[in-house]
Amino acid sequence: MIEINDVSKSFYGKHNAINRLNLVIPDGKIVGFLGPNGAGKSTTIKMMTGILPIDVGTIKLNGLDIEKQPLEAKKVFGLVPDQPDMFLRLKGIEYLNFIGNIFNVPSDIRKERIEYFTKQFSIYEALEDYIQTYSHGMRQKMIVTGVLIHDPAIWILDEPLTGLDPKSAYILKEMMRNHADKGNTVFFSSHGLEVVEQLCDAVAIINKGKLIFYGNMEELRAQYQSDQSLEKVFLELTSDE
Amino acid sequence: MNNTWLLMKTMLKMQFSNPENKKSHIWFYVISFIFLLPLSVIYISFINRFIHSLYSGLQPFGQESVLLGILFLSIHILLFIMSFVSVLSAFYFADDIQSYIPFPFQAYQLLLGKATLPFLYLYVTAAIVYLPAFFSYGSASGGSLPYYLYGISLFLLIPIIPFSVAAIILMFMMRFVNIAKNKDRSKIIAGIASFLFIILINVLIRLNADSTKMIDELTVLLKNQDGLLNMVTAFYPPAYLSARTLNEAESWIGLFFFIMIIVLTVGALLLFATMGQLFYLKGVLGVNSGRKRKMSGQKIQRRMKSRPVWLSYMKKELRVIFRTPTFLMQCVVQGLLGPIFIVVILLFDFGTGFQADFLGSLSDKQYVLLLFITSFIIISTNVTPISSFSREGKTWYSNLYLPLDPKQVLFSKIAASWLINLFVISLFLILALLVRIPFDAVLIWLVIILTGSWLASSVGTYLDLLKPKLDWTDEQELFKGRLIGLIAFLFEGGLFGIITFVLWRTERIQTMYGISIILLGSLFICIFIVNKLFNKKMRNNAFQQL
Repeated sequence: MIEINDVSKSFYGKHNAINRLNLVIPDGKIVGFLGPNGAGKSTTIKMMTGILPIDVGTIKLNGLDIEKQPLEAKKVFGLVPDQPDMFLRLKGIEYLNFIGNIFNVPSDIRKERIEYFTKQFSIYEALEDYIQTYSHGMRQKMIVTGVLIHDPAIWILDEPLTGLDPKSAYILKEMMRNHADKGNTVFFSSHGLEVVEQLCDAVAIINKGKLIFYGNMEELRAQYQSDQSLEKVFLELTSDE
Repeated sequence: MNNTWLLMKTMLKMQFSNPENKKSHIWFYVISFIFLLPLSVIYISFINRFIHSLYSGLQPFGQESVLLGILFLSIHILLFIMSFVSVLSAFYFADDIQSYIPFPFQAYQLLLGKATLPFLYLYVTAAIVYLPAFFSYGSASGGSLPYYLYGISLFLLIPIIPFSVAAIILMFMMRFVNIAKNKDRSKIIAGIASFLFIILINVLIRLNADSTKMIDELTVLLKNQDGLLNMVTAFYPPAYLSARTLNEAESWIGLFFFIMIIVLTVGALLLFATMGQLFYLKGVLGVNSGRKRKMSGQKIQRRMKSRPVWLSYMKKELRVIFRTPTFLMQCVVQGLLGPIFIVVILLFDFGTGFQADFLGSLSDKQYVLLLFITSFIIISTNVTPISSFSREGKTWYSNLYLPLDPKQVLFSKIAASWLINLFVISLFLILALLVRIPFDAVLIWLVIILTGSWLASSVGTYLDLLKPKLDWTDEQELFKGRLIGLIAFLFEGGLFGIITFVLWRTERIQTMYGISIILLGSLFICIFIVNKLFNKKMRNNAFQQL
């Protein structure tokens, strides 16, 4: 479970990037996080994962406060950032081994998971190559595999499907569904409204740092003229007026 | 032409841009200026006295022109060596070229754009080395207006030939090196080969300097007007022509030599542009692809070794340094150049005579102090610690969401720098054994320098934590225009330079054990203070503030 309680964040003491955000993402659910560019999605994810300090409020991941118990809290989630261009000078296998060491994954389980997930994502044969030589999609899959090998209870994914080929996107969506069905939490940001519509149990919409809607699709449609598509509802919700 | 100018401006901006606020940087410059001003006055007056005394010594024999020959020859050699390093970095190791290639630029335009920054550095070096000596010679010889006019014009021409020659050699080499599939590895091999080439030139120059033969030749040459100048610059026409231009500034012959040097310079520039058009892009556009290797469960099994986090992180740091050509050159290879040159100088210049005369006169205490301060100063110029955080660039945030204890990250980063310093220390160890410094003195130095290396790594890492440069687009930018390297050097070299000086001069402590206790004590106190500073930063979540 992710609990975001009254969180605010401003940059340079002026601009309120996040304004008193409250959000609870329960276990067993996939929650999509929507908002136009600059709405505060990435800032929220960065605060949830300890990349940015929180000005006001608290964020708990499975009951662990990200600011007070950072190391323990970071062990319960896995993050797929929006930019997979990292650890480029490592080989794929070295990166996964590095992650395995950080999360203390036993060697035999590590091996089993690496083999399974890299074969699923068709990057098994590229494991001995430098990540620098991978395409954007392959890098994305490598980062996703890095999350999967330590099997965290909470998945936080920032635009996870960008750059993935249809087969890999399908596999990842299936994995997200299975993970949530096992009673875990999946939270992901996306600009792909149809993916959110098709996959999520609930959707949180943020604009100008404020949560403007949180609920399931039915509730969303009920609130904003039932026959409209999510795209239209989204545009209406996030328009400047 | 507009495109070339635009490209030059953009490339320069990219190298020096710093999106952070600039006010704090001004202070760095002000402090550096205050510090460097008295040093430059001392330097200029030293050069002036030196040139004046040599001039008055050589002038009665009609051989004063050799000073100009030596000046031009040495500045050309220095700029050639510098060009080698900077061409390699700017033309080949910097990946930013990839982003310019899709634009409709000619290869020569890209080359000129890329050459701007190295040229800037060459002019700064030329100004520091050439101008004081040139003006001193002018005042000693009562130089006329044409002398100064020619001299200033030559200053503008000086960097072109050494730069063009170095660039042509490298472009030719890289054209073939990049055929190899792994571009990074090829770049590293070519880079190291270039450094070896520079060292080889140094060795050859020294081997050819046969002192007994030279004395015989000198007596003959001294009988002819400007005989020495002819000898010194015999194998290098640009130095000969430049020196003769200044020497004959008042006559038409001076003008003739000046025209000759202009022709030579333009020729070098044209050759550089032509070779660039032919070879440059072919050398840059290597395919950076790995070899596809068959994977198997057994292979993965072999790779699966559970390691402590600090060790795994340190290995990651070292892998990144050794596999990134720019990092390898800046952090490892350049640090080795200093000690290698010392070895070359000792082996070829002085041989056993040096050992007997100078080293033989030193006490054990002085051996330890001499070894310590030279090795410590070289270590304190290493850029590995001052780039500990900056090397991560925009991906620094990955350290924040992973469950990494900041203290472990710090320890691993300092340990990685410390391990890299072992290369320099090993070279000094070889050097110490070569010149037969007593074994117990070497052993004591080793303990002190290993501790000193930890301090240097910690100080550099701390300074980088205070002022990291994460917002770079190309690895080259990371090492440009950063003053924290100078600060680290001034702090470490200055503080321990004073301590060494005091210990050298004091008569109260004569044993090497006595001074080693003082040195080790000082180092441990400094390490303790830096640790305290780290702890304070950690309590304020320094990692999140980067």
